Amino acid sequence: MIRAEGLTKVFRRPRTFPGPLGALRTLVTRQYVEKTAVDGVSFTIDEGEVIGYLGLNGAGKSTTIKMLTGILTPTSGTVRVGGLVPWRDRSANARNVGVVFGQRSQLWWDLPLIESLRLVGSLYDVPAARFETSLKKLRDLLGLDDFLDTPVRQLSLGQRMRGDLAAAVLYEPPLLYLDEPTVGLDVLAKDAVREFIVEVNRTGRTTVILTTHDLADVEALCKRIILIDRGKVLFDGAIDALVDQPRRLVVLLEPEPEEVRGVRRDAEGRYVFDIRGDLPGMIAAISAEHTIRDLSIEEPDLESVIKGIYSR
Amino acid sequence: MMRIGFRLALAYRSNIVMTCVTLVAQVFLLRMIWTSVYGARPAAAGLTLDALLAYLTLANLQSFATHTVVSRTIHERIRSGTVFFDLARPPGYLRQMAAFQVGNTFGGLLLLAPVVPVVLLVGSITAPVNGPGYVVTLVLGYVIAVQLALLISLIGFWTMEIGAISLLYRLVSQFFAGTMVPLAFFPGFLGVLAGALPFQYLGYVPAAIYVGHITDVAGPIMVELAWIAGLWGLLALTWSRAHRRVVIQGG
Ligand SMILES: Nc1ncnc2c1ncn2[C@@H]1O[C@H](COP(=O)(O)OP(=O)(O)OP(=O)(O)O)[C@@H](O)[C@H]1O
Ligand SMILES: [Mg+2]
Repeated sequence: MIRAEGLTKVFRRPRTFPGPLGALRTLVTRQYVEKTAVDGVSFTIDEGEVIGYLGLNGAGKSTTIKMLTGILTPTSGTVRVGGLVPWRDRSANARNVGVVFGQRSQLWWDLPLIESLRLVGSLYDVPAARFETSLKKLRDLLGLDDFLDTPVRQLSLGQRMRGDLAAAVLYEPPLLYLDEPTVGLDVLAKDAVREFIVEVNRTGRTTVILTTHDLADVEALCKRIILIDRGKVLFDGAIDALVDQPRRLVVLLEPEPEEVRGVRRDAEGRYVFDIRGDLPGMIAAISAEHTIRDLSIEEPDLESVIKGIYSR
Repeated sequence: MMRIGFRLALAYRSNIVMTCVTLVAQVFLLRMIWTSVYGARPAAAGLTLDALLAYLTLANLQSFATHTVVSRTIHERIRSGTVFFDLARPPGYLRQMAAFQVGNTFGGLLLLAPVVPVVLLVGSITAPVNGPGYVVTLVLGYVIAVQLALLISLIGFWTMEIGAISLLYRLVSQFFAGTMVPLAFFPGFLGVLAGALPFQYLGYVPAAIYVGHITDVAGPIMVELAWIAGLWGLLALTWSRAHRRVVIQGG
């Protein structure tokens, strides 16, 4: 469905100069500041996958998505989305793609939500009958009925996001780019968004690329993640494999021995044992030699694994 | 997109009250000034006072009715980054924006309609000397106005900041459209310049045809069509360069 090879985007801005005449110099300068936002990113995404596209702030996630929609032209590298080169076949590519940016809305601020949805219907040539069935489905799925006729500026963030999701899938695109669709939402609204994504992916075999800083989104939705850091791919693979590590027994001992063989100590000075097999036996063995003051069992989770990857 | 433009014009209807007051006041003031300038003179530069007043009333009405908001909309959408969504649609960007403007004009006309009798009363109007000629040149003039507005808007893809340029453009275009002073009164060099610029088709030419000051209609129509074709090419060229430069703010 999507194949990116060596995708790179370098932003070039005229250098800014300080001082009272700085603005003028900026205007005529031939010096540029370059910023490589995306640096040789390659990946392949199959139809029907839900991919978590993750990275720290400024890693280049949104820039990648802008290139996948064909709106930014890459500095170098290639992408094919459903066989099309997005920036060359912009219009054909647009019909295949729905986009949601959590940070900004495609809805017209001063008009009732339904007007923006009608606009999407007409810009994508959705026939009237199909528009109605599609809208009906989305009204049920996203609970739009309460605010369909309310001007968008009066909607809560959660309502607005549901409106944006509706606008993105109204013409049933096979591909969905979701850039932080849960940002700023409460727990229930987040659940609603997640359920919606699951539903769209399940019924329409829609391929989803999801960008988020909430790893619970990823755990709920994605089987595979692509992790990028400063524009480069750091990890690409299944989450299962990533978090397929033993559970850990974490204990606080007294007095604190200098070193226990084969055991790490974490930042708080606790001792971390990998749990293999007989847990009660392990605890018994430890308490035979030391006094256990506190004890907990930790599941391996995505957050700690990802932190681990960044710190490497 | 036309529908959105239309609905937005209606959504901002509280503005229209101010707009109408401004329009009526402007027409009223122009009438006072020009009546006093004319004094007992029967005509100047081939325009009788009655024809001049009808001209001014029409030219101002036209200028308000064909006022283009699309530059401001485009500018705001570039700055906020929502231009992303316009670019992500299947239809071409300029087509969408032109449709938006046309819808907006229709909405504006609907709101302006009730005030037209007042304006005609406060100003003054005569029967058209050449009604069809007026309509055709006005509609073509409107096409030129939209094209120029789009062209100005595209500067925003280079500078991000077009506030000052828009203001300058508005002043220049209104002046050379002859909204306050008919082009027939422009002296020497200024008259030549006004005659060479396309702004006259937004105001002077249609209104002067209406009052019979310009009798040749075919000539202006040909020139208008040439401008439309030329601007069309220029827009396509500018857009192809602008959209290669697109950077979407924020993310
Ligand atoms: N128009 C631009 N001009 C110059 N630099 C830019 C521009 N857009 C983005 N950048 C830079 O490119 C880098 C990547 O930005 P991008 O928006 O893709 O990050 P992101 O991964 O989406 O981050 P976040 O999680 O904060 O949304 C950043 O360092 C940013 O400063
Ligand atoms: Mg981002």
